[in-house]
Amino acid sequence: MAGLTLEHLFKRYDNSGKKKKTVNDYAVNDLNLKCEQGEFVAFLGPSGCGKTTTLRMIAGLEEITHGNIYIDDCLINNLQPKDRKIGLAFEDYAMYPPLDVYGNVAFNLRAKGVDKAEIDRRVREIAPLMQIEDLLEKMPVKLSGGQKQRVNIARAIIREPEILLMDEPLSHLDGKSRQAMRIEIKRLINKIKCTTVYVTHDQLEAMSLADRIAIINFGVLQQFGTPTEVYDDPANEFVASFIGEPPMNILETKIIKRNGVFFFSFENSNLEITVPQRYYSVIHDGFSCKVGVRPMDVMIGGEDSKGTSEQIATFENLGDERRIGIHVGNDLLMLITEDEKRYKSGDIIKLEVRGEKTHLFDIATGARIREKP
Amino acid sequence: MARIKFENVKKTFGKVYALDGISFEIHDNEFFVLFGPAGAGKTTILNCVAGILIPDEGTISFNDQLMNLVDPARRNVAMVFENYALYPNMTVYDNMASPLRSKLYKTDENTIKEKVNGAAKMMKMENLLERLPSQLSNGQKQRVAMGRALVRDPNVFLMDEPLAHLDAKLRNAMRTELKEMQASLGSTCIYVTHDFMEAMALGDRIAIINKGKIIQVGSGDEIYYMPTNEFVASLMGEPQINIIPSTIKAEGNKYDLCFDVLGKEISMEMPVDEKVMAKIDELDLRCADIGIRPQHIQYSFEKIEGYFKATVYSYESIGNKSVIIADCGDYQIRMIAPNGLRVQIDSDIYISPEVEKSIVFDSGSKKYIVRYDEETVKAFATKQEVR
Repeated sequence: MAGLTLEHLFKRYDNSGKKKKTVNDYAVNDLNLKCEQGEFVAFLGPSGCGKTTTLRMIAGLEEITHGNIYIDDCLINNLQPKDRKIGLAFEDYAMYPPLDVYGNVAFNLRAKGVDKAEIDRRVREIAPLMQIEDLLEKMPVKLSGGQKQRVNIARAIIREPEILLMDEPLSHLDGKSRQAMRIEIKRLINKIKCTTVYVTHDQLEAMSLADRIAIINFGVLQQFGTPTEVYDDPANEFVASFIGEPPMNILETKIIKRNGVFFFSFENSNLEITVPQRYYSVIHDGFSCKVGVRPMDVMIGGEDSKGTSEQIATFENLGDERRIGIHVGNDLLMLITEDEKRYKSGDIIKLEVRGEKTHLFDIATGARIREKP
Repeated sequence: MARIKFENVKKTFGKVYALDGISFEIHDNEFFVLFGPAGAGKTTILNCVAGILIPDEGTISFNDQLMNLVDPARRNVAMVFENYALYPNMTVYDNMASPLRSKLYKTDENTIKEKVNGAAKMMKMENLLERLPSQLSNGQKQRVAMGRALVRDPNVFLMDEPLAHLDAKLRNAMRTELKEMQASLGSTCIYVTHDFMEAMALGDRIAIINKGKIIQVGSGDEIYYMPTNEFVASLMGEPQINIIPSTIKAEGNKYDLCFDVLGKEISMEMPVDEKVMAKIDELDLRCADIGIRPQHIQYSFEKIEGYFKATVYSYESIGNKSVIIADCGDYQIRMIAPNGLRVQIDSDIYISPEVEKSIVFDSGSKKYIVRYDEETVKAFATKQEVR
């Protein structure tokens, strides 16, 4: 068990003959991150954002362009991958087909020349943790995807790594087994308390597994925080729209002032949302920005509601919940309700938006506009 | 526009029954969803409608006209595939115009232009018409594939998991878009999916398919509230429904529900519902599986009178809410909780299921017996929206 520190980490793939260099040439761009001992950190971002590249640099499979990586206080930049005390579990299982599960799990230790009795002890110790006791004699071809991934993870943790690295370990599994496996991984990490870096593009996986999430886009760290922080207090528009399902509604707005009160108003729509007082110091009449509000913070008002009347564009009954879409200019504002009432498109409802739950973003940069403290 | 009828359709591939006696009727202009796990036979049904496959037994008819041996081209169906199948060397416009330039549907270029522009407008891609498929995102490609189906006035649209290749976010957005244009399709549509949210959101009616058989046909609400068996119940809803194996002890007018939690027998008095009690008496029901959806489980981390004790197995966020799974020994109970709780794995949790919202299944056959508030639910679930 150990902490992991990334310090001003850069990566550039040198493709000769490429056009002149720009900032975007960096696959990883000035990444600074500190994972505490025993912490579960997820690297989250769309494909091509540099999350796997970073993981590979930590593992020693990829050269570092600039910057330093430390495990505890020890600089590991120049250590061989095998000396880094790292366990790796990848998306594809890469098992040795002629070896049975036992052989696959034991392979690393055998290669290191650990004695037989010790290997056996460790395999038997890990097998129940990963629930593969009954599979030890089976060949890899006989295993289901979920079982293969269990073996794969067992193989990574049998080395008793300081840091466990996982790269999209669930993306090959179907919905149901992915869900089950997610829970198993969480329980396992909780038990072995190993510092873990987990790469995924699925925000749900990151939200449900990680102690802290590093959200990366174009090689640049956007935000590093607990699931609650990134959900409730996103650093910018990218984070806000990437976390949460269905995503946050983000609409372009113009702020108007009437009788001393500010409202968010929208082009080609009669929707108005009261601006919370805390923003009064950073806005003015005619201020343009984007306003974000999560679908669960938009509600259907009762008969005496003061909300504006809006026409339902889409109504989706999903069994557990219902989703309603409303046109606001060219955008669709989504809301979620567990109310049993069935609507149809064209129905008129009173819309109430919890103004205090809104976030403001800069139109050009997407940066969060925060109230003055 | 067409009514489509399947009567006892069978199809084998070698020794395997892909379709094992399928019968159903799709109404005019209906949006009909075929829903089931992988390998259930959904796509085989679609291919039989299209004429790509010919059934071994049984009949397929459109508007009472037998179709079994009619050429695919003459059935006037339009198909949208999962993998888009666009012509890579043609622009979006030409891709969408291609069906109207085929020998069979040869149309003059002015009409084509009108139709393509109409479809493009509906799919919101007027500005993409000059692009090549390689210059489109996956969501845009899927829209082109749908647009290409829309330019004709087919008897029926066949859509085979059109959103399955898209990432979660885009899939949700496209589902909503599809829902929005559903009314303007103006034709019968058969839609294949393995995603219950798509099935619920889009289908006027849903047919649940498993192992080549139809398990249930009904509106989304009927299937959600009155599933014909535990299999169907477990397909609809995320996280899936809890099934608690129980025994019922009847004494006079009092019915006790007994089940095992971590080796301890828990007994709760069943809330009174005339129909449920009558059914229990009629069948002399002693063993039953009680199905309760996760949102109908109350819990507490403090001891509360009447709540039973179990162990937290996991706690995880699924977006706007979280799921707690409690270990009860032979089974688990899933329940909905808010995000951001501090929950220790393996700690104690106290649980109280809202039995008054449960569904009673036969513990042997796993079939639906009765549910609480059945009459109310039935009235509400079968009240069909007619488009």
